[in-house]
Formats: sequence, C-alpha cells, structure tokens
Amino acid sequence: MTSEFLEPFEQMLGEVFAPSAVRAIEAGEGSAAAMQTVEQSGFLDALVAESEGGAGLSLADVAPLWMALGRHAVPVGIGEAMIERATGDNEAARRENATALLHAALIAGAAGKLLDMAVAYANERVQFGKLIGKQQALQQNLAVMAQDVVAVRLAVELAASKGWPETAQAAVAKSVAAEAAPRIANTAHAVFGAIGISAEHDLNLYTRALHRWRLAGGAETLWSRRLGEEVLASSQTAVDWTRSLWA
Amino acid sequence: MLGCKGPARKPKSESTRRFRSFPLFDTLTLAAIPPEDDALRGKVRTLAQEAVADMSLAERSRSWSGFDAGFSRKLGEAGLLGLTLPTEYGGGGRGPFARFVVVEELLAAGAPVAAHWIADRQSAPLILNFGTEEQRQKYIPPICRGELLFCIGMSEPGSGSDLASVRTRAEKTEKGWLLNGQKIWTTNSMHSDYMIALVRTSGTSDDRHRGLSQIIVDLKAPGVDIRPITDLAGDAHFSEVFFDNVELAEDALIGEEGGGWQQVVAELAFERSGPERIYSSIVLFDAWLAHLRSVGRDDPATTALVGSFMAKLSALRAMSLACTGQLAAGESPVVEASVVKDLGTAFEQDLPLAIGDDLAAHPDEAVSEELQDALTYVTHIAPSFSLRGGTREILRGIIARGLGLR
Repeated sequence: MTSEFLEPFEQMLGEVFAPSAVRAIEAGEGSAAAMQTVEQSGFLDALVAESEGGAGLSLADVAPLWMALGRHAVPVGIGEAMIERATGDNEAARRENATALLHAALIAGAAGKLLDMAVAYANERVQFGKLIGKQQALQQNLAVMAQDVVAVRLAVELAASKGWPETAQAAVAKSVAAEAAPRIANTAHAVFGAIGISAEHDLNLYTRALHRWRLAGGAETLWSRRLGEEVLASSQTAVDWTRSLWA
Repeated sequence: MLGCKGPARKPKSESTRRFRSFPLFDTLTLAAIPPEDDALRGKVRTLAQEAVADMSLAERSRSWSGFDAGFSRKLGEAGLLGLTLPTEYGGGGRGPFARFVVVEELLAAGAPVAAHWIADRQSAPLILNFGTEEQRQKYIPPICRGELLFCIGMSEPGSGSDLASVRTRAEKTEKGWLLNGQKIWTTNSMHSDYMIALVRTSGTSDDRHRGLSQIIVDLKAPGVDIRPITDLAGDAHFSEVFFDNVELAEDALIGEEGGGWQQVVAELAFERSGPERIYSSIVLFDAWLAHLRSVGRDDPATTALVGSFMAKLSALRAMSLACTGQLAAGESPVVEASVVKDLGTAFEQDLPLAIGDDLAAHPDEAVSEELQDALTYVTHIAPSFSLRGGTREILRGIIARGLGLR
C-alpha cells in the first residue's frame, strides 16, 4: 500500500517544495499555489474513509508520507490537513494524538535527510589533509546521530502501527523524537561547520524545522509526563505495560 | 480514491524506495512476535517466578550474571532452551522470536540465567552453523537440556577491543592440537564444561584476521588453569584461563581452520542483538516504579522522568524485535545490532543514575534497604554494560563503517 503512494507523493513534494520554494513560503510569499497542487493530488484526503470519497489509508500507510514531508522540510500543514479532514468536531483528543505522531514523523523525515547530508559532506570535506569523515571523533558522533535517526523512525513506525494512536502511544513517538531532535540538529551543524550556519545553505531548512516540530504541540517533557501518568496509575511492570501498550 | 481527484502519478517502477537512503537501516523495520512464540510466555514466567521467589532484589538485579545450573536444567526439561535449534538436535525448532520471549521473561523477573546463557545464545548456533555433524550430535542436544555449559574465550591480556591481535596459539600435532596461551575476563569459565576460544592457528599477530580459528576447549583437560577474578561489586563471574600445553583432539577445531574471524563476526550478531541489551537494569526500574506507586508520588517531574524512560523502552524493544526479525529471516544484522546495543546499554546505564538522583531528591521518602542495595549494585556495575560484548566505541566504529565513513 505504502510504496504505491510514497513515490508519487515524494515526486510531487520534490516539484512543489524545492528548497527555494520552501524559503519563499517561509519568507511570507504565500503557499496558495503549492497547496492547490497538493489539493489536486488528492493526498489531503488520504486518511478519509473510502466511503466518504477519501483514500481510506491507515496511519501506518500515511506515516511514510509524513516522513517524506519532513524530508522536504515542508513548511505548510499538509499532515495537519490530512488529520483535520479525517476527524470530527468532537474528536479533539484523537486529533491531538495524531498530530503528535505527525510531528514525530516530520522529525524522523528531516532527521533522515540531515543524516544523509552530514554523511555526504563528511565524505567530501577535507581538513588536515584528509576527509573529515575519516576522523574518528566525527565518525563516533555520526554513529550516534544514526542511532537517534533509527530510533525515531522505529518509534514513529511503532506508534503508527496500531491505528489512530492512544495518548500513550503517540507519547512514545513524540517523546523519543522530540528528545532526539536537538541532538540530531546539533550534530548536523557540527559536521558542516560555519557554512551550515549561513542562511543560504539548505542545512538550516531542516535543522530549524526539527526545532519547530519538537516544540509544536508539546515537546518531550509534556508527552513524557502524559506517558508517565498512565504508567504510574497502573500496577504493571515496565515490560508488561509496554507489551500491553502495543498488543 | 487517490488518483481519482488529480495527478497522483502511478509509481514508475516496482521500487519500494523508502525515505531513508542508507539501505542497511531500511532493513530494520517493525517485526511482531508470532502468537505461537508469544504463547511460551506463561510457562517461562511460572518457572522464573519460582526461581526468584527467595532471591533478594539485589540478587535479581544481577540479571544475566546470576548462576543456577539447576534452574537452567529445569528450563531445558521444559523445552525452553535451544529454541532456535532444530528438533533433530533436541532443539525447539522454532526461531529467534521464541528465544526473545523466553529471554524477555527471564530477564524481567531477574532469573538466574548465566549457566545456559552463552551456550544457548551463541555456542549452539555457532556449532550448528559451522560444526561437523559429529560435533552437532555431541554438543547441541545436551546444551538444549541445559546440561552442557559453555563460555567464550575472546579477550586476552593484550587483546581487548583489538581482538585480531590474539596470541593464544593452537598448533597442529599428530594427534590433534596443542594449546598454549591465556584468556581473560572469560565469563563463567569456572562453571563451564567447554570454552569456544578464538586462537591463532597460523601466522603471527601481525597477520591480523588471517590465521585465526575457533577451538572447542574441554576445560577439564590437563593444563587448563582457571583463576576467578573478583569484580568491583564483590562477585567473581569472570576469570583468567591459562593453557599450558593443553592437548586437544583433532575435532576440537570448529568450522574452518583460518576462518575464525568470519565465524566470530557472525556470532557477534547473535550476541549483540538480543533483549539482554536493553533489560540489564529492568529489575531496578520495576522496583523504583513500585516505590513511586507505594509512596503515591506522581508530580509532573516524576511522571516526566518515568515517561521518558518508558518511551525509550518502547522504542528499544521495537528495535530489538526488528533485529530479531532480521535474524529470523536468516540475515546477520551486524550493524543494526550495534545500533540497538549501543542505545540499549545507554538506557541501561542512564536508569540507575536517574533513579539514584530521584531518590536522593526525596529524602523524606523511606527507601527500602533492598531497593537501596539493588540501586548501589546496578550503579556500580553499569559501566560494564557498554564493555561486555563489544565496547561502545567499537560499536560506533562498526556503525560508522555501515554509514560508509570507513
């Protein structure tokens, strides 16, 4: 199901949200044209039931699309619109949890992009007469970054695997993603050095987005708290509680 | 439907390209425990609870260092060992997911698993993969019964992380092999029947990975001298093992002569990917949760701390299961296992520090002596979590190589 939609979706994002377009939207030049293309693609109805004219995709199907949005640092609320269209007025909690998962997925996507960029740069930038990627200190930092990237992606896949997430399920994804986001952004900047700080370099599109999505709708402390409240209110062991959360 | 409304293009190819561009991490994806394997849980839990009934919290916190040969035999009798091995050798004929369930239950209870641990996890699979039919028949059935205990001889005084520099040497003789040298930090060698040792069978340590072989050493053979080493917590779970002209039969060689390095690398994927890499502090974690519930503390700082660890636990368990899925598919997830082990051991190491800080910040609360003892033990032993089975720095090097940086 997923791969069938991911490729055309990514292709559309590549055309509509190239880095220059993202900058233009962020500079306040408007996103109406971009959103019109997205609207026409039908993807905004991805989560709407087929009986109501939507695509009837599950969250597990849609999570990779959300990660693709992160990968392109998309500055408009496409994922939010998908959720909005698939939830009713009296479903605020459902919307809030799904939105937390969305932000975690956006972080996962941008984080994967940053890892790609950082590794590629480490394999082309020369200092001290050799590629900086050959320096053990940098290798170890990039290895840690890769771990965070994988952990965030798995947390997102997990939270998306059981339908619309309960609060604790969404909290797992958002807590893990939000906590890792600044580490990932910082390592990316450390690898690129000064050039990554310059406005014209694309790196900051993704690192700034990480910080934005981390805080949106509550970061690691808020969602960890919600998770912790449920854990302490139960009498189960850590493993049993975790197993039953994903049963 | 998508596409009915607009230009949702048809996929151009069969490609299922994901958003990630490092293929090695794409293989790490959600995996679920098959219901028939999950069904083992009740049986393991009953046995584990029996075994720990009289153990203190600090003893249960020893996790996979706790030794009880009788308990391992009970697990064997119950058909809970050798689950990944074929039934023709007395195994369970199941797979890595069955083992995951059993290990998860044993570790969560703090059951003493050290006796069968190494043999069940890696020695038997190694013998199955690389051994002769005779070796399989000889060793695997008693391993599955929990009767034959193995240890692994890798480290030497001059070979820690730099494993390829091992100097212990097995020389070919008319009757078999003559073994000389020394291993160290060998877990449970004093209780084991056999050691699978990585030794040099040709060349010198300058030849690095070439000329290394794996040898099965009968630890009761003349010339083997085992001297336990006490650790900082007062336990003696590892030791020095000396080999002074130890004569071994020809069939002591396991696998290919000179193929030891490749065999060890395959073995390490088994060693590094299991749930034991996230659960070393789980008994302490549960004891702390029980303490918080009993004193009724659920202020925002406490719930945030609990939730942060629980979120990580969910993610780590999903990652460990993903690795298990790769093992089940016959893959050797060396890089992925390194990712899980490094993150998992960091989680295990963070827990005692956070719990200690949390309890110290609430001096008004009565903390049981038992919880205090367990906390002290785990705090002191935790640095070993990222040493045993490959150090953190080595694992990160493996990941860096996986990223294409080395």
